[in-house]
Amino acid sequence: MNDRNEENLKELFERFVGTEEAQSWVEDFDKVKRILDENPAPQPSQELIAAINSRIAEEIRLRKEHTFRRLAYRLAPVAAVFVVLAAVGVRMMLKESSGTAERVRGPIISASVWESENIAAVDRNLLVLTTELDELEVEFANLQSDEIGGNGSSALTELEIEFAEIDTDIWEG
Amino acid sequence: MAKSDDLALIIDGCKAGSTDNFAQLVDIYAGRIYGYYYRLTGNSELSDELLSELFFKLVGKISSYKGGSFDSWVFKIAANIFNDYLRSKQRRKKLHEARREQLQEQITEPKRSEDERIDKLQIQLAKLNDETRELIMLRFYSQLSLKEIAVIRREPIGTTLSKLHRGIKRLRELME
Repeated sequence: MNDRNEENLKELFERFVGTEEAQSWVEDFDKVKRILDENPAPQPSQELIAAINSRIAEEIRLRKEHTFRRLAYRLAPVAAVFVVLAAVGVRMMLKESSGTAERVRGPIISASVWESENIAAVDRNLLVLTTELDELEVEFANLQSDEIGGNGSSALTELEIEFAEIDTDIWEG
Repeated sequence: MAKSDDLALIIDGCKAGSTDNFAQLVDIYAGRIYGYYYRLTGNSELSDELLSELFFKLVGKISSYKGGSFDSWVFKIAANIFNDYLRSKQRRKKLHEARREQLQEQITEPKRSEDERIDKLQIQLAKLNDETRELIMLRFYSQLSLKEIAVIRREPIGTTLSKLHRGIKRLRELME
């Protein structure tokens, strides 16, 4: 800091006026400084200092409140966006998990059919299908024995047609 | 006066919003700045008002202090507050009236209560023009160098020096 205590007045004055005049200026400055020292100004009262400190404390409190409120106003829209995004995310997750549950709950063949000893009593269509498969097994066995013993090509064609029909029945449900 | 390291810590505390550090700042500067205002106005109520205004402004401005001479920074604000005050036409009128009244009372009633006593210096200061009086008081109460005062006043140091010396010489003559 360029404090006035470190300031060489005479040197400074000599840059603007002659040496003799500079000395006279220094004397004027010193004299007035003595006058001011001998006539001190009154000091602020303790009540004033207390009032100033109180006002400062109040002002700092208000500024902190204002800063907090301004921050809250700035963050509110961002927080709102986050809340909306979170809500949408949670909703999508719930939807996804409920879809999985449906798939688990809906197997192609119900557990009662698998566990049943009497399929005919549980599912009539399945009974028909099983009977047809049994008949086909018998016919296939007969054809195999014909093929071994003679010509069975026409019977094999019929069997292929029946297989195709059954296949269609199965996929049409 | 506080050491510069201590003052730097106090200023940092003030920037962080510490009321204790502001109270310390008030302790350090209130006396000098009050003296500066009192010698400029010759009115204790007005000096109270200006000093309160200064510290109130400091709360808002302290974060803009970026280093350098804090005394210079504070007194620049103090001087601006006083000049703002003078620029207010109505208040300036009141100030002149108050000064005239004080001078009149001094003639008819030389000694008032201790608080309200107008010393010889105050009477002679009132005879100087506003700019000269302000310059002398800034020099005496701010404890700033002439170079710093010239910077605050935004004028060449030679100009400041010339005006200051003219005022000081005049005051010396008035007081002798």
